[in-house]
Amino acid sequence: MIKLLVVDDEADVCDFVKKFFEDRNYTVYVAHDGEEALRSVKNRKPNIVLLDIRMKRMDGIETLKRIKELDKEVVVIMVTAVEDKDKMEEALSLGAKDYITKPLVLEDLERTVIERSKIFNDKN
Amino acid sequence: MYKEVKPNANWFKVQYWMIDKLANSEGALIPLDKDALTKRPKPQVDYQVILENASRTMIRFKKPEHLIKMVVRLIDEQVKTTHTAVLLYKENKNAFVLIDSKGEEGVKIPVNFIRMTFDNPLIKIFNTRKNYILSDTGTLNYTELKTLLLNKDAFKKFPDLHEMVELAIKQMDLLKADVCIPCYYKKNLIGVLVLGAKLSKQKFTRQEIGFFMTLANDAAMAIANAQLIQDLHERVEEVKDLYLREHKIFVHTAIALATAIDARDPYTHGHTERVTRYCLAIAEELEDIPEAKAYNNFRETLHLAALLHDVGKIGCPDCVLNKTTKLTKKDIEKIREHPSIGAAILTPIKELGDIAKEIRYHQERYDGKGYPDGIKGTEIPLIARIIAVCDAFDAMTTDRPYRSKKSLEETLDEINHNSGTQFDPIVVSAFLLACEKGKVVSNNKIRNKVL
Repeated sequence: MIKLLVVDDEADVCDFVKKFFEDRNYTVYVAHDGEEALRSVKNRKPNIVLLDIRMKRMDGIETLKRIKELDKEVVVIMVTAVEDKDKMEEALSLGAKDYITKPLVLEDLERTVIERSKIFNDKN
Repeated sequence: MYKEVKPNANWFKVQYWMIDKLANSEGALIPLDKDALTKRPKPQVDYQVILENASRTMIRFKKPEHLIKMVVRLIDEQVKTTHTAVLLYKENKNAFVLIDSKGEEGVKIPVNFIRMTFDNPLIKIFNTRKNYILSDTGTLNYTELKTLLLNKDAFKKFPDLHEMVELAIKQMDLLKADVCIPCYYKKNLIGVLVLGAKLSKQKFTRQEIGFFMTLANDAAMAIANAQLIQDLHERVEEVKDLYLREHKIFVHTAIALATAIDARDPYTHGHTERVTRYCLAIAEELEDIPEAKAYNNFRETLHLAALLHDVGKIGCPDCVLNKTTKLTKKDIEKIREHPSIGAAILTPIKELGDIAKEIRYHQERYDGKGYPDGIKGTEIPLIARIIAVCDAFDAMTTDRPYRSKKSLEETLDEINHNSGTQFDPIVVSAFLLACEKGKVVSNNKIRNKVL
């Protein structure tokens, strides 16, 4: 099973996305802040990280940098707001593979993650 | 696309056949609850009463968000579902955004997390109201769509329709929705209510769907009204601001003009400002008389007229204004032109039409011996009669090239003495009253004198 890590400081979002992808046969881990996300990347070795750009304490960009330091291979998909266009570009330049804009279209969330999962399916 | 589907006789037959089939099948889409009508004497929940209460409450909500919360809560109270969500059209996002939700952990869709754009199949279906996918209540029902899909024959002629049903099912799967209810306002889709499965695992009854539908549309109306009221308030505030800003500019222009005129005559320096102050002091005493109330805006008109009463002096040569020796007959004639010149200057300005008249007559006397027209009594407009008193008061209490100022006592005596001849007695008594109250000149002596 593909391992997905959801990083968002809103518990509701974590719960929803976790259930959403568990229903689609993913193993889903949840982190509510950057620090927790880093620990999870180290211990759980997720294939894909869904990372919210707007977070208290360590923001999405900083978290992304440090995740990439820990694991170059992990696929990071940023979850952003329309207003974060500049940050979005920065994230892509820092190695994020893709982004989804909030409020998001549910199929986009599903499709983006599934598309990015294909490489792991092939490997498995 | 499904939009191109045109109803024809055959299709109606297919539809009726399907409805009949579905209605009689086990766990039918929307049970045509015949039994409920006969066997159960009254419904378990009196939706009529709930709806009446709800719509009464809705009127009180001024903010759409509060209203939505109420609707979601109401649904949650009446019918326990896995989750409930409301999406509302947001103009700035050009999409329907989830603005409130309730439900079990993980099933509840977080607020502001998702949006639906106009290419979303559900939105498309709701926007094209005449189609064969919606149930007869106008809602989308998951079970019904699934059953619809089973009738492969029916879709042979309409492959697009088949695709649309599949897309709708896929959407409802994503949302974990059992029923989706549209909210329309004036034929426009403004929101979508998403209901998860009932916790009791039973199907939604026709009555319940009717209840949600009515609730959603009452809410839509209330939301639209609330938005309308909010927009209107904002607009009113904008106009108010604009008016105030313009008016400020206008008054300041008048003040600038008045100051310019005053500046030409060293002896009348500050005259306009003082006369304006006296006039406004009298205004408080006279505001309630019918003549004052007949003005559109008495205070405002008085304020501007007082500021501009000497604007016609712009036509007086400096040599006359600055003369220190006795004025000749010709000089006096020249000076006496200023009210009509002033009026002539202001007449072309539409907004100052009322003021021009006041300025023309501010040198008229109550007994008709004034100028330029020699009119008398109430033929002279009230504001002109007020300016006359204040103008004279200031002239007497300041030095002029041809005479020195009078004492306050003398001045008040003289004004009192000329009440009914030069001045309107009503204005004079208002003036004295204002003096007594210390509004004209803050001087205790006046108070003692008048008393």
